[in-house]
Amino acid sequence: MKRRVLFTTVALLLVAGWAAACGTEPSTWDRIANSGVLRVGLDPTYPPFETAEGGPLRGFDVDLMQSIGNHLDLDIAFVYFGYDGLYDALATGQVDVLASALVIAPERTRDFAYTQSYFDAGERLVSRAANPVTSPDEVAPGPLAVELGATGHVVATGWERQFPGLEVEPYETAKLAMDAVASGAARVALVDGVTALLGAAGVKDYYIGPQPITEEPYALVVRSEDRELLAQLDEALAHLDATQQLDLLRGRWLAP
Amino acid sequence: MLVTYGQQRKVRTDVPQLGVHTRLTDEVEPWKIQKTLQLVREMGSSWIVEFFPWAYYAAEDGSYAWDHPDLVVNHAHAQGLQIVARLGLTPEWARPPDTPLTYLDASAYDDFARYAAAFVARYRDRVNYIIIGNEPNLSYEWGYRQTTAADYVNLLRTIYPAVKSANPDVIVLAGALAPNLEPPGSEWAHNDLTYLRAMYGAGAAAYFDALAVHAYGLTFPPNSPPAPDRLNFRRVELVRQVMVEEDDATTPIFITETGWNDHPRWTKAVRSGQRIQYTLDAVRYADENWPYVRMMALWVFRLPAPTRSYMDYYTLVTPEFVNKPIYHALQTYTGNNPSAETE
Repeated sequence: MKRRVLFTTVALLLVAGWAAACGTEPSTWDRIANSGVLRVGLDPTYPPFETAEGGPLRGFDVDLMQSIGNHLDLDIAFVYFGYDGLYDALATGQVDVLASALVIAPERTRDFAYTQSYFDAGERLVSRAANPVTSPDEVAPGPLAVELGATGHVVATGWERQFPGLEVEPYETAKLAMDAVASGAARVALVDGVTALLGAAGVKDYYIGPQPITEEPYALVVRSEDRELLAQLDEALAHLDATQQLDLLRGRWLAP
Repeated sequence: MLVTYGQQRKVRTDVPQLGVHTRLTDEVEPWKIQKTLQLVREMGSSWIVEFFPWAYYAAEDGSYAWDHPDLVVNHAHAQGLQIVARLGLTPEWARPPDTPLTYLDASAYDDFARYAAAFVARYRDRVNYIIIGNEPNLSYEWGYRQTTAADYVNLLRTIYPAVKSANPDVIVLAGALAPNLEPPGSEWAHNDLTYLRAMYGAGAAAYFDALAVHAYGLTFPPNSPPAPDRLNFRRVELVRQVMVEEDDATTPIFITETGWNDHPRWTKAVRSGQRIQYTLDAVRYADENWPYVRMMALWVFRLPAPTRSYMDYYTLVTPEFVNKPIYHALQTYTGNNPSAETE
């Protein structure tokens, strides 16, 4: 704890008393600021963003929240939930924020609010550094390696009509699709951003397209009424971005 | 935009028991309803399971807003599809204040029966199968109350004669129970197998013609053996075993939700390629081993809008009407030529 327990207790009593006098509940942000604890929900089954398998909780989102905690002078208390129960946990007040590689969902914004995105996991073009492919109109003619049935496969199938001479070649996994590029069996692959970055880490032969082809923006999530908390989180993210700490985290976890 | 029903179509398929669960309840635009059902037919699926909520269409004064169900039923009929209609969700006027849509008190059973009877009468010859409720062994689906099989059987006892009176040919499906491994006394759910036994114990057999079953594969391949402590595709066989032991072997099963999910991070998902293979293998397995299964519907054909969550990874077609590779694999499996899919 960064704050002394006595201070926290007194502060909570003061806030509670003030709220009782006014007949209103303290805001989520007031409660967090006075307790000094931000409760964060996540599903620790998705490395490199969050995992607890074979060791302590770790990952990109874990470090991100610790950095945000440092900036806001808050302790971070992580609470585990199943992936399909995260939003319910937030809605029912079991946590204050979700940090679990969650994609911004405009359809949910009646009940929830999202911070600025801190990572885009959309599909990326992967090619050889010696023959880089930067945009979709460079993929044809020739084979394009994809993971069978995955989003990249769906996108590439649409490209077949758009780019004559393109041959979509499905592989069992995204990793095998990237291997096809490395071996020369395919000139370019279209795979999800996380696999692309992890697969290319430390391999000079790969070139990752500069922009994701599809959008999968990861963001932190709060309840829609917690505007002050949202503003604090966004300010912290902007600070981490401006001070290159976000880049350091991406490098640590996605380009080890 | 004027969207006509078009000429009467027929499904061409080598797998007549294959179906899909559509989600047209919240699909507003008629052309999207038609396009969805056209794609269902072109995939070689003969059946759809679709939800027709009581709460959406029935007013307290006894009037009904049939416009939207008319669209869905008539377009499905024009495409040559068999419809299994799931009925449920209680209107605000038929439940106590501050209760959820899934709250159905015994005092409203007669009201629900009137809706069900009106539905089957209106769609006689176009809708021959109805499901009463959904996963009644979950407290969530029972208005966040402890569930009892006897309550659900009382509902069936009220509905069954009402709909048979309105349309004697309609097939009434009970269930579908949610597969789960909750311990006895759980506040969340009642084990599906013990619940089914309790249904029979409460006299359910006389009040349904077929049993609806949900059979998700989760991370298991379709040939994974069934076990009471395991949730997998072949749990259907344990359900069937209960039916046989309860002297109800002649009653068929309709699998109204099944399938695998290929979300990249959900722990209950499989890889996209596995999902395709498992799905094809499951259809084949059911065809070869389960003569008592009349229909199996994959959850879910298409959603009206993305959820940006694992639910998107159950679909066969995107909200933008892009057919996923699993769609093409099924289309090929049913003997339909993918290159002839557009008309």
